[in-house]
Amino acid sequence: MEALEHFLPQVWFVILALFLFLYVMLDGFDLGVGILSLTSDDDDRRGILMTSLGNVWDANETWLVLMGGALFGAFPLAYGTILSALYIPIMGMVFGLIFRAVAFEFREHSNRKYFWNLAFGAGSFLASLGQGFALGSVLSGISVDDTGHFIGTTWDWLNWKSILVALTLIQGYVLIGSTYLIMKTDGELQTTHYRTAKIASVTTLIGAILITISTPVFYENTRSRLFHQPQIYIFALIPLVGVLLIWQLFKSLQRQEDRAPFIWTILIFLLSFIGLGLIVFPYIIPTQITIYQAAASSSALVFMIIFIGFLIPIMLFYNIYQYIVFRGKVTGGHYEA
Amino acid sequence: MDFLSNTVVLSRMQFALTAIFHMLWPVLTTGMGIYLVIVEGMWLKTRNPDYYLHARFWSKLYVLNFGIGVASGIPMEFQFGTNWAPFAEATGDFFGSILGFEASMAFMLEAGFLGIMLFGWERVHPVIHYFATIMVAFGANLSIFWILSANSWLQTPAGGEMVNGKFVVHDYFQAILNPFMAKSVLHMFFATLETSLFVIGGISAWYILRNRHQAFFSKSLKIALAAAVAVAPIQIYMGHLSAEQVYHYQPTKLAAMEARWETIPAGESGDWTVVALPNEKAQKNDWEIAIPKALGYILEFKPKLSEPVLGLKEWKPEDRPHMVGLIYYAFRIMSGIGFFLAALMLWSVFQWLRGKLSAENISQQRWLLRTWMFAAPLGYIAIEAGWIVRCVGRQPWTVYGQIRTVDAASHIPASNVLTSLISFAVVYTILFISAMYFGSRIIRIGPNLNLPIPGIENEPAVDTTPAEFVPDQRPVEAQQ
Repeated sequence: MEALEHFLPQVWFVILALFLFLYVMLDGFDLGVGILSLTSDDDDRRGILMTSLGNVWDANETWLVLMGGALFGAFPLAYGTILSALYIPIMGMVFGLIFRAVAFEFREHSNRKYFWNLAFGAGSFLASLGQGFALGSVLSGISVDDTGHFIGTTWDWLNWKSILVALTLIQGYVLIGSTYLIMKTDGELQTTHYRTAKIASVTTLIGAILITISTPVFYENTRSRLFHQPQIYIFALIPLVGVLLIWQLFKSLQRQEDRAPFIWTILIFLLSFIGLGLIVFPYIIPTQITIYQAAASSSALVFMIIFIGFLIPIMLFYNIYQYIVFRGKVTGGHYEA
Repeated sequence: MDFLSNTVVLSRMQFALTAIFHMLWPVLTTGMGIYLVIVEGMWLKTRNPDYYLHARFWSKLYVLNFGIGVASGIPMEFQFGTNWAPFAEATGDFFGSILGFEASMAFMLEAGFLGIMLFGWERVHPVIHYFATIMVAFGANLSIFWILSANSWLQTPAGGEMVNGKFVVHDYFQAILNPFMAKSVLHMFFATLETSLFVIGGISAWYILRNRHQAFFSKSLKIALAAAVAVAPIQIYMGHLSAEQVYHYQPTKLAAMEARWETIPAGESGDWTVVALPNEKAQKNDWEIAIPKALGYILEFKPKLSEPVLGLKEWKPEDRPHMVGLIYYAFRIMSGIGFFLAALMLWSVFQWLRGKLSAENISQQRWLLRTWMFAAPLGYIAIEAGWIVRCVGRQPWTVYGQIRTVDAASHIPASNVLTSLISFAVVYTILFISAMYFGSRIIRIGPNLNLPIPGIENEPAVDTTPAEFVPDQRPVEAQQ
């Protein structure tokens, strides 16, 4: 029983990390495209940008809904504590996602597209900002008592570390959004996004370096875990692989390749997530509450594996199918329902 | 203005506002989803292009709803964490799991196939497209099952017990299949279906009255009417079953629904009030119009009650629901609409059987068509009223008999909740007005009857050439 009580929360930690990764990767490019649309003063370009997302944004956003439900069910304590502690960033994200979602349809029918263009771009930005602050403040720590309940104040989430994470996440979203658009567009539009991808890859890299360095320097708890054999070899490997991937990304952008930049960016996201996962594990509220303390009962976790875990391959299958159906370049700025 | 500094009250107001707003949109995504499955199936079967054009036209309204439904659904889920953290912690084992199931089984399914359903007409074989339409409708209706199962569990918590302030589940299937579940799921399923039928019928009636595409829209009106023949009476019966389970399991709610202050013992008959003015301070109705001895017939189809109907005075004020007048009238509005829609169905069937609804004659039925237009929004009002009865009537409990609402709310500053509440009110007002505006615009522009009809036999089963988004070069008017 003892072994099972350790194993099940670990399984759910991995599943949640997978959902979070899929969300950040998939809705990441949606939100990145949304942020990029703010820099556009050409309505045709904006139309193409939104068309490239028209059929996928909803499914992509559903990974967030799924992650929310799974976190609620698997780690109820963490769900309540984290969300109530981060009331303002979470509500910011929610309102951002609302504006982003309705902009697709409303813009299509509106004569005053300006307002819904802004709703799409600013909504994407607000949602990304909220997510960045939420992620940043979870990583920098939430004050809880020993039963895991929030004892901090309303503005605890705003600190230099969370600002750094939020800015970096936005850069990352712009990067993956740019490389997605490189893949989905051609001509002048594609050229524009080679340029934005280059800029965003540099700013993302700077952010990533700052986070990587500051984490062991300022966080005693993380440091002691990082510089402990044999973990140190794994943690030393991640920056090395990261440098290699970024080098490949730069090269593919330089060669103006079509799909490679998007794939390298996904791998960079994946690597960052593995790194984050290893640093956070076994905590769900770093570095106060472990996954074992916050986990639902074993029977709940088993039940959820049956009803959610086994559906993961099926969900991935039909999501991939949808991408295959809509593969290829977007050339028209209009989508018709 | 004490409530402005009361986090619990503000969180409740926010949850009520966001839930009432959210509930407006899934109605069509579930009910009209079934209608879209029907017309697309009829197109595949009969090859009559009208059915294809119906599918295309109504899916415009469908997707408008869908977007707002998705957008307003996200705050529902996250509020359990932000505003109801103690509730989340206490019930996560069951309630959180169910929300997870809903996302993985229902939401992901509809979202994963929605793109193909909306934009895939030229990209996949019609049979695959039909499969996508079925999956969208199935996913949407499956979410009724999970949400109503979760909500029913709040009404009749089963399958476990409270241990140290946390609900420990012993039997998941017992919890999912809790006493309220089956009838509530069916009541909600038929509610969205019936509302959608009268929305489709009402919009069709508008076109017919304006002499626009009469033949085309008399088809959709008749499909809606034919389905309503079964749905409207079934829904009244489901409503009866739902009231009956309240009678057995939630005496405080029944007392509030009937504004009944004094207990009627088992074996006696009771009066049923048609209208009343409940006075919570005096614990009585200031006045009422009652039908003598009708309560037994309404609850059990017999004169004498087999169980007592407890009066509100049986409980201390803190143990029973407040806003009795709201619950009382919400219940009457919901039931009244149910009977009104059934009566409209009967009137329409009567005219249909007399041959008055043929494509040539139908536009002469002006009062009938006007009544259908009037009926279009009624289903929504009934659904909202029903949820008010269900959830306001459950108070003071969040989990009936187990967790009080005051203990379920997060300990967060009231100013935070007030700010988000005002933001929701402002944003949702904008969204509601915009949706009405764009929805009526879609209706005013009307269907594009010149859309090319995709071939059925000639299409290759699998598209072998890389697919391209084909830019629509026609003028904007032609694309509608």
